[in-house]
Amino acid sequence: MTARPNDERSGRRVVLRRDHIAGGVFIAAGAILFAVSGDLPFGTLASPGAGMMPKLVLGLLMAFGAILALRAGESPPLAELPWNDLTHAVTVVAVSAVAIALYTVIGFVLSVTLLLFVLLYFIERRKLWPALAVSIGVTVVSYLMFSTLLRSPLPPMPFWS
Amino acid sequence: MESTIDSLLLGFSVAFQPGVLLYAFLGCVVGTLVGMLPGIGPLAGISILLPVTFGLDATRAIVMLAGIYYGSQYGGSTTSILMRIPGEAASVMTCIDGYAMAQKGRAGAALCIAAVGSFIAGTFGVVALTVIAPPLGAFALRFGPPEYTALLILGLVFLAYMSTTSLARTLLMAAFGLLLGCIGIDVMTGHFRYAFDIPELGDGIGIVPVAVGLFGLGEILSTPSHTMTTKVIAPRFAELMPTRKEWRESAMPIARGTVLGFLVGIVPGSAHIISSFMSYALEKRISRHPQEFGKGAVAGVAGPESANNAASTGAFVPMLALGLPTGPVTAVLMAALLIHGVPPGPQLVTEHPQVFWGFIASMYVGNLMLLALNLPLVGMFVNVLRIPYSYLYPLIIMFCIIGVYEVNHSVIDVWIMLVMGVVGYLLRKFDFDPAPLVLGLVIAPTFEMSLRQSLIMSNGVWTIFFERPISASLIAVSALLLILSALSLVRKSKDWRAKLAAAEASEADQGRA
Repeated sequence: MTARPNDERSGRRVVLRRDHIAGGVFIAAGAILFAVSGDLPFGTLASPGAGMMPKLVLGLLMAFGAILALRAGESPPLAELPWNDLTHAVTVVAVSAVAIALYTVIGFVLSVTLLLFVLLYFIERRKLWPALAVSIGVTVVSYLMFSTLLRSPLPPMPFWS
Repeated sequence: MESTIDSLLLGFSVAFQPGVLLYAFLGCVVGTLVGMLPGIGPLAGISILLPVTFGLDATRAIVMLAGIYYGSQYGGSTTSILMRIPGEAASVMTCIDGYAMAQKGRAGAALCIAAVGSFIAGTFGVVALTVIAPPLGAFALRFGPPEYTALLILGLVFLAYMSTTSLARTLLMAAFGLLLGCIGIDVMTGHFRYAFDIPELGDGIGIVPVAVGLFGLGEILSTPSHTMTTKVIAPRFAELMPTRKEWRESAMPIARGTVLGFLVGIVPGSAHIISSFMSYALEKRISRHPQEFGKGAVAGVAGPESANNAASTGAFVPMLALGLPTGPVTAVLMAALLIHGVPPGPQLVTEHPQVFWGFIASMYVGNLMLLALNLPLVGMFVNVLRIPYSYLYPLIIMFCIIGVYEVNHSVIDVWIMLVMGVVGYLLRKFDFDPAPLVLGLVIAPTFEMSLRQSLIMSNGVWTIFFERPISASLIAVSALLLILSALSLVRKSKDWRAKLAAAEASEADQGRA
């Protein structure tokens, strides 16, 4: 992936590097947060307000982001970053997000059994019965352990409680 | 000295209570497993199990959680030696010669030397902790807000200096953590900061969702199951005893690694990782046969393993005596003490002697337990490594969800964990170390409070930090470290941090290959 800003006229191609993106993201995030911090009073040195610390830290965040972007020449090109684990990561996040959304709605036992079964059977292509046995067995044992031994109850199934 | 012995006896009277012994044992077992299993380090292990301690008193809770920490240093060596996979980052250096010894049929001897070295180092560390922490705590009673501000600045700068990534990257991560720590109600004025109308964010972002997300889920997202191997060399009990020559060769590296590790452990940073690298480099430099390193040198196992255990004990000195976390693990342990209503710091020794001395005494006992666990039972522990990673990581995700939810019974915390998991994955992709982020998050409230108190008490005169001798000295050390870091940027040659980063990356790649 390459960017070709004004340097193209001189025949040079500017390679977009890892730290251009990393630094740029932190500068942009810092600027956006600075903009939404308008209602937080900075105060004075003698009487610092609620906004002093966040604004100082945002300044530092953008400054270090700028240093990173300026020194990006030392980092590898963005195109060379290995993304071979991206599909795995996105799938795990998506399945976990569904389980979390259902966690307090259908309870621990059902949501976590589903989470484990989907990960084991559909994502990891394990055999049906072992995947099912592990999903149900581990979930039920964990539920009982937390509810009885550790006395720290997990969300129950709505029709169970 | 007499009072120290009396206090230690009080500690042993606490540590030998059956309940405390049981939780020390549980911590050691879980720590050994956490250290062995790739994809779950001590930080994630402690964070996930933190809610389990809510029903316990402060002593049992901290004894168990600390057992997980120093137990993981023991367990980490097992996968390094038998599989060339550093189950825990501090065991990276052990992979090199430990695995080479295993390939020569000396896996048992390597495990035994690692366990004995860890025991000696751990015990020395506890003795030193016993002697150093109380007077240091007494000295810290002279600290006011300016001194604490300067101390926390020094902690962040030291972390940046010791980090294997660049100064700008580390400080950027620390700033990110400080920013996350600003979320929630400002305790001095009552203003809501960055809560975005989510009431649960009023209390701020908890350390557990962030730590579990970054280090537990983030690691899983970066590790597809097909990249993990489960080929295990399992030594038999009879093969565990090293030869006389191997004992001789390991004696001095253990002694040097112990002292070096403890000293490095006291300073902020990922000390247990750095100490093992420094010990390996030291042993290689002073060895009469440096060519043997990488091919199964006993000193290459004995030194780093002792150093990382001594460092993990050394890290408790500033935590207990000053209330200053030196890394993310001690930060979570501090959070655990706070949750149990026991603030770590100078007053810990005087106000909670049973917790302080009981904790220290339990570490003597814990080190003995770990020696017993890691030698005769190594064959049993190794079986855990036979669980395919494709079964293991869904279970770790489940425990991440349980662990985070149980802290506040809040599903928002679980969402925060998921978001931080994605952030952790991206940070790894872009070569950021998430540890300073956690440290920044933990110290943010204390840092902000002490900074604002300092400015208020000086009526806005910021030179207050230079007018008081202790804070001026701490600021001067911070400035010196920043200059040293800047110098290393100018120099062309690789310094020790760059070498450590390269060694970590190369071992991680080889372990997964």
